[in-house]
Amino acid sequence: MLIPTVPETKPIKLSVRDMAFSYGQKKILDGLSMDIHAERVTAIIGPSGCGKSTFLKCFNRIHEVSTDVKVSGDMQIDGVDIYRGGIDVVDLRRRVGMVFQKPNPFPKSIYENVAFGPRLFGVQDRTTLDGIVEDALRKAALWEEVKDRLKESATGMSGGQQQRLCIARALAVNPEVLLMDEPCSALDPIATAKIEDLIGELKESLTIVIVTHNMQQAARVSDYTAFFWLGKLVEMDLTERIFTTPRVQMTEDYITGRFG
Amino acid sequence: MPDAPEASIPAASQRGGYSAEARMDSPSAEAGVPAFRHSRLQRLADRWARLGFLACSLLVVGLIGGILFFLATRGLAAFLPLAGNTGRVLSFSEVFLSADWAPSSDRFGILPFIAGSLGVTGLALLIAAPAGVLTGVFIAKMAPAWMRNLMRQVMDLLVGIPSVVYGIFGLTVVLPLVSRTWLEDAPASGFAVSALILAVMIVPTIVSLSTDAFESLPSSLDEGAQALGSSRWQAIWRVLIPAARPRLLTATVLGLGRAIGEAMAVQMVIGNNPQWIALMRESTDRAPFLRALFTPAATLTTELVQELPNTAAGSTWNNVLFAMGLLLYLLTMVLILATRRLGRGREA
Repeated sequence: MLIPTVPETKPIKLSVRDMAFSYGQKKILDGLSMDIHAERVTAIIGPSGCGKSTFLKCFNRIHEVSTDVKVSGDMQIDGVDIYRGGIDVVDLRRRVGMVFQKPNPFPKSIYENVAFGPRLFGVQDRTTLDGIVEDALRKAALWEEVKDRLKESATGMSGGQQQRLCIARALAVNPEVLLMDEPCSALDPIATAKIEDLIGELKESLTIVIVTHNMQQAARVSDYTAFFWLGKLVEMDLTERIFTTPRVQMTEDYITGRFG
Repeated sequence: MPDAPEASIPAASQRGGYSAEARMDSPSAEAGVPAFRHSRLQRLADRWARLGFLACSLLVVGLIGGILFFLATRGLAAFLPLAGNTGRVLSFSEVFLSADWAPSSDRFGILPFIAGSLGVTGLALLIAAPAGVLTGVFIAKMAPAWMRNLMRQVMDLLVGIPSVVYGIFGLTVVLPLVSRTWLEDAPASGFAVSALILAVMIVPTIVSLSTDAFESLPSSLDEGAQALGSSRWQAIWRVLIPAARPRLLTATVLGLGRAIGEAMAVQMVIGNNPQWIALMRESTDRAPFLRALFTPAATLTTELVQELPNTAAGSTWNNVLFAMGLLLYLLTMVLILATRRLGRGREA
């Protein structure tokens, strides 16, 4: 396993040490270690089935929705083990937001989608909610498009708008980390470009981890890139180095399209 | 969609008898090459098969139309001087707006039966809808795989149990038990036990359809809600149930349809008392709440089963019973149409 050897001014937000994940008898991830820095975008690339998405889902423990999974090793946020006994999963998920592969707006109005998280955490005052909703939609670059139809159903929006709505929904609870699981795989190039611009703006205040199939996307949006293969981390480095002078032959073979 | 077969069959046979599909699917047809044709024998068989299907569908449509026509003429005979009507011609108000049912004294108010049907059905739904939907949530979203399979099979079995079996169970087990436990051996027949039996009868239908409804929701909704910090229960209550609402309504309306049309099981436990409204008003031997639940009553269906065999065709009494049948038919139709509407709302 190779880790970056460059000086970094931003603190470590998420750290993973010797982490393994198994589903039933099957080992999906093994021996993973990496550091993810605050206010940076870290991309995870690798062929289908290499465990990228699974890895991402371990950061907010959303994999626990399905049963029969086992995580071992150490995963920390700000130095605190997220699998430690007394940790509050609800609070963890507030701090670590997630955007999924397919836009998954709830079948409610645009407003109610964004207000969903704050309501869960007890915000009831209408003016406060209005403020949070507008703020989140502005951050997701969606406000101008939807400000006159907040009461309309979210399922009537275009795919790209739905995905930005899901980002706004995640931002509304003011997370510290945003996990993005192939957020553009269901979108057209224009919608994709908008999301990529958005990622650039959001990293000013957030730690972003993005799983992507699209290597150009990884090159465009990320500061660091990690290459996964068969459940293991092959190489992680500054994105420009991964795409120009990778240290491992397999990484070069993958990014030049020789396999995967 | 249901009228598509009738519409397409004559249209296809007018095209000279060969398969319309073969003509349309053949890529050469566009290029001006003669279309592929079946052999003579095949075309003949095809034409006869089409006629056979047409005859069958016409028969079904005819039967349903015939029943409606029969019900309508016999039922409306109570209000119109139709040919062959030997009974008295009644006004709508003395039938539908009167609670006074005394056929031997020429009084035919069917309000007790309408109220009885609505009351029993409503009460049954009040029990069955929440129980069914929550069981559906449990099966689809919480139960481990082995239990999910088991529960689904049990529900499918329960849907198929004949209603008379539920009736026997109610009559021989539930009635005596309730009477002994809460009513100091006074008879327990009435709305409470009838609604309970009906609820048990329709719960499997509602469970089955709600389970489908929850299973058809994309798991991304569940994950999305939980990723925002919802607990299991919050995700179910705030996202999954609202998302499944149209299909849950359909499930409930289908249960409602089964409940309102049920005669056998209800007849065995409700007590069959057409004068229940008067009895409930006058009797003072129980607290009002218990009186409402345990006064022997009657519904549209139970009264039909009870009295139809004892009346002469064409008599006023007989006509009014048919009017009740017509009313039931129309109620059921409205429910089916409502189900369709709800079902369409889901796809939109």
